[in-house]
Amino acid sequence: MRFEEELVELLPRLRRFARGLARDASDADDLCQAAIERALKSQDQWQPGTRLDSWMYRITRNIWIDERRAAGRRGVHAPIDDAVTQVVGEGAAEVEAGALRGDVDGAMARLPDEQREVVMLVLVEGYAYREAAEILEVPIGTITSRLARGRETLMHWLGEAA
Amino acid sequence: MSFDPATVAAFVDGELDDLTARRVEREAESDAALAAEITRHRALKAQLAAHYAPVAAEAVPDRLRALLAGDAVDTSLADRREAKLRRFAPMHWGAIAASLIFGLTIGMQPWRPAADVTSANGTLAASGALAEALDTQLASNQPQGGAVRIGLSFRDRAGRYCRSFEGRTLSGIGCRNAGGWSLERTMTGQAGSDYRQASSGALATDVAALMAGDPFDAEAERTARDRGWAD
Repeated sequence: MRFEEELVELLPRLRRFARGLARDASDADDLCQAAIERALKSQDQWQPGTRLDSWMYRITRNIWIDERRAAGRRGVHAPIDDAVTQVVGEGAAEVEAGALRGDVDGAMARLPDEQREVVMLVLVEGYAYREAAEILEVPIGTITSRLARGRETLMHWLGEAA
Repeated sequence: MSFDPATVAAFVDGELDDLTARRVEREAESDAALAAEITRHRALKAQLAAHYAPVAAEAVPDRLRALLAGDAVDTSLADRREAKLRRFAPMHWGAIAASLIFGLTIGMQPWRPAADVTSANGTLAASGALAEALDTQLASNQPQGGAVRIGLSFRDRAGRYCRSFEGRTLSGIGCRNAGGWSLERTMTGQAGSDYRQASSGALATDVAALMAGDPFDAEAERTARDRGWAD
């Protein structure tokens, strides 16, 4: 199958991953677009026979994290809707148990970036720890500790009964 | 509870070796705290999967497709604004069902026939062949090579009829309500996964967590079926 065709098949999943990272639907599609453009440009760096999905997820995630860091340096913070701000106050640690019940977007948006990406890869996209570690280029122990923190926080905010 | 949180998480994520996974399952049968912890983790996973599944079912925007179709793409700001306005394209319900299966069985082939699950009011329900198997199939008399194997039938604490099932792409527990079989638990099925899933054992743990009393014997199962899973 052509490289482009394989990429087209990946798009629905990639959009889902991007939505979890970027939250806003149009930002997520901008992220996908940037990832596709970069993939097409660096097509020769992908080795046929290796997993295209892992490669694409890594590109997508790297573009996202670069943008987040650039925005952080500029002092730009991702907009957070007012209702959540009121609940949360200054620190996410103050969110009461169950306060974000049902608001998965709000809860994910409040997770630290490095936890959010692991939660998406393992709990939503279904990657094994080892695969997530390869995508993010970190040790497996880093995956499990970030995942554990992200999970506990989400369960706390979303309520135990989920 | 005799397992640390990391082990419980790894169990739910299908990351334990078979031996350890079986120990966790056995322990969960008699350790209510452990069983509750497993359920808590599963519930979060299911909630996240259900939340993001519709995204994968949306029509992929033209501007993304066009990048890969070799067409010239106008990425002018005006076009992009318009694309943003159009981003909530009408969804295709079949695709939503497909993506729900996909979301829940990620890592497997998304093009597999996937009409066994529908979503209504934010909950998953069995449809198609799965609903039919839950309605009619008896554990004591399973069809050769059937797509779905029925496990245990039992009543949950709310008195509903529930049945566990295992299939190639999806395993889980369906509980009968007025509208059909609500899928209370879902997990990756038996086929194709290259990471370890102790789904049968995990399913048994979930059954134990839901079940009130004993599982049905063959006669009770047949009687319940013949009454259409209604009291």
